[in-house]
Amino acid sequence: MKFLQDTLHQAGKLFEKGRPLEKLYPLYEAMDTFLFTPGKTTPKAPHVRDHVDMKRVMIFVVIALIPATLMAVYNTGYQILLAKGLPIDPAQCWKLGAFKVLPIILVSYMAGGVWEVLFAVMRKHEINEGFLVTGILYALTLPPSIPLWQAAVGISFGVVFGKEIFGGTGMNVFNPALTARAFVFFAYPASISGSKVWVAVDGYTLATPLAVAAQAPRGSSAIEALNHAGFTFHNLFLGFIPGSIGETSALACLIGLAFLLITRVASWRTTLGCVLGMLAMSTVFYLLRGPDRLAFFNLPPHWHLVMGGFAFGAVFMATDPVSSAATNLGRWIYGALVGVLATLIRVINPAYPEGVMLAILFMNAFAPLIDHYVVEANVKKRLTRIAVKNV
Amino acid sequence: MITHQIKKGRDLKLKGAAAPNVVESPLPAFVGVDIGFLRGLKPHPLVKQGDSVKAGTPLFHDKGIPEIKISSPVSGKVAAINRGDKRALLNIVIETDGKMDFEIFPSYNPSLLKTLARDKVTEELLGAGMWPTIRQRPFSQIAHPNQTPKSIFIHAMNTEPLAADIDFVLNGKEDLFQAGLDALTRLTPGKVYLCVSPNPKSKALTKANNVEIHQFSGPHPAGNVSTHIHCVDPLNKGDLIWYVEAQDVVRIGNLFVNGVSLSERIVAITGEGAPERVYKKTIIGAPISHLLGTNHLSGMRCIAGSVLSGRIVGLNGFIGPYDSQMTVIPEGGKRHFLGWLAPGFNAVTFSSAFVSSFLPAGEASVDTDKHGSDRAIVLNHIYDQYVPLDIFTYFLIKAVMVGDIDEMEKLGILECDEEDFALASFACPSKTDVGGIIRKGLNLIEKEEAVNH
Repeated sequence: MKFLQDTLHQAGKLFEKGRPLEKLYPLYEAMDTFLFTPGKTTPKAPHVRDHVDMKRVMIFVVIALIPATLMAVYNTGYQILLAKGLPIDPAQCWKLGAFKVLPIILVSYMAGGVWEVLFAVMRKHEINEGFLVTGILYALTLPPSIPLWQAAVGISFGVVFGKEIFGGTGMNVFNPALTARAFVFFAYPASISGSKVWVAVDGYTLATPLAVAAQAPRGSSAIEALNHAGFTFHNLFLGFIPGSIGETSALACLIGLAFLLITRVASWRTTLGCVLGMLAMSTVFYLLRGPDRLAFFNLPPHWHLVMGGFAFGAVFMATDPVSSAATNLGRWIYGALVGVLATLIRVINPAYPEGVMLAILFMNAFAPLIDHYVVEANVKKRLTRIAVKNV
Repeated sequence: MITHQIKKGRDLKLKGAAAPNVVESPLPAFVGVDIGFLRGLKPHPLVKQGDSVKAGTPLFHDKGIPEIKISSPVSGKVAAINRGDKRALLNIVIETDGKMDFEIFPSYNPSLLKTLARDKVTEELLGAGMWPTIRQRPFSQIAHPNQTPKSIFIHAMNTEPLAADIDFVLNGKEDLFQAGLDALTRLTPGKVYLCVSPNPKSKALTKANNVEIHQFSGPHPAGNVSTHIHCVDPLNKGDLIWYVEAQDVVRIGNLFVNGVSLSERIVAITGEGAPERVYKKTIIGAPISHLLGTNHLSGMRCIAGSVLSGRIVGLNGFIGPYDSQMTVIPEGGKRHFLGWLAPGFNAVTFSSAFVSSFLPAGEASVDTDKHGSDRAIVLNHIYDQYVPLDIFTYFLIKAVMVGDIDEMEKLGILECDEEDFALASFACPSKTDVGGIIRKGLNLIEKEEAVNH
């Protein structure tokens, strides 16, 4: 270990001011502090600091994504076998899935990483570990059949226009992973919507549960339509369904959520707000159901929680502390509105089968406004105190 | 007695508390009057090297308000006048003569203090160089003698890690403490609030008269002046509140009753690195090396105050006028392989990201390691749970970062001091110096006000 530390130290000298690799210092710093804790001491009070740092926080989010990632690999292979009518062999599922999913993740990390390093070098700041999360979050929201170059263009857009032009990590208005996905969604709609893309087999058509529910004839039972297509609540919850690679399993998201909440990395207020918002809005639709209404209206509210990207969005996307509201009350409001909007879009907007991504991006834009009013209430309280005194 | 239950905040439980017995420390050969860190003072020396001084002889005065003086804590000879960058005065070192000759100031019958004229009180405090014991909010700087505060807070409790137990320190000093309180009541048309920890035992606190006693229970920063002001008599823009440390109230009492400027101070020697952890009875200006010895202190950081809000003094430093605690902890700086992945059985943390977060909390060992590198703020929701003031910390520091004075004041920066955010800085995974940012904002406002006047 000492040898490694000394080697790093020697190599580090090349990156110091005035040395040939000075410009690439952020890259060295990232590598160096990845291997060894920085070993810096506090310059002034507070003289002691918590052991937790941003590396650990971000790594924990990545760990929380492991169940969803494993499920992504397995389910992608599983859907391929299913589509080809081959017998389901777990080893085969893992293998086929890995061939499809790992390149997407790798491309996302590499393309995103290049921009991250480039901006760190240009702006002379450290490489923020946040891109470890963005890279995989984005990959998991893509369909398994996405062309790799489109995945790369998408993440490039997300990192540059979703984050860096706002000033980098901590300053962005929109969640960079979702911005990237939204870019792909609007730039290459054929690759990320419709019914041809959700299983990684060429020419194979299979509608997602959301599409099935949305396209069921008016007045008919949405549950029956879903069951008829082979979607039960059970397999929607477990995630053995076609869809974006990492979003299908509500269970995997729940495990991730449990991890995030136990380690207190994510705000439970946002997630709970999302769930309550979605339940409230879908209950309203459910109460309005009838023979001449959309079939989607009569889907019981709890089904909404396991369909589409909701679980994934509510756990991993909406909770991004930078792009969500930053006050506790604001988080409730923000979360609830994400839930309400997502339901509205998915149920009564025929153009978009899934509303979670758009709902979160839309609320990202409104989060500062929500915060503004929450903070303004605090300011008013302070002003009233003066007014009372002066009476 | 009114009780306030503070909910937000958290205690940082550390090893190395001072044993509750007071050890008398001999008079040091040299004392230093340190002023580099005093806020709101532009010091100008009144003595030259080689001058003889008595205890109570003025050493400096303020350039702006020359009546504000700082006096010598001992009698002896001026040994050195030390200056730092741009010839800024750092300290004056006095070689003690061991006699403790005092300058004599007017003394009063304790029963008359309650009715003494305000001018007399101000004059006596200024004359004896005791005025700097009174500080003001906003800005936490030395009070302006021509202004009148709406109330005065006596800081008679401390919840900082390993802090001196003020209740214990005041034991047996009830008469002088009461005299000091009586004198201070003359300075404000409002009330004097005595802020204490729950169920004090010393008579100084339980039998205090002419003041309103408030008890504060709950985790740190329940003992901070800002917390007290926030709960008892909130500070609004344009308000002025003064505050005094409890041990200084005793000194003020001594001045009025006995007519001498005594600099006696009981200091808790704490921290795992300190060789002898007790309360030491010494004087303000005593050299740190005199209190701690010089053995076993290599690789240690000597802090005047607590690990959260103290200042680095080193062995060549001196006990400052507001200090009642010394903390010695080891310097950090060891590098650990793949630290971000370590389970952390012994990690000191407010987060739940380590095994230790789920183990029963005991007293922890700490060093000065930063445990991470500086990053952009991402987890913006963690600050407010450690700040019991009605402040949106994240929005306030953002306002400071963009230099928006109007917004800072709206968000309540005038009610704060940097020490109130020490826990937030401690817990921040991005290693943001939240308190430092707040201080920057306060300095900015001060500068702006100075320009406008």
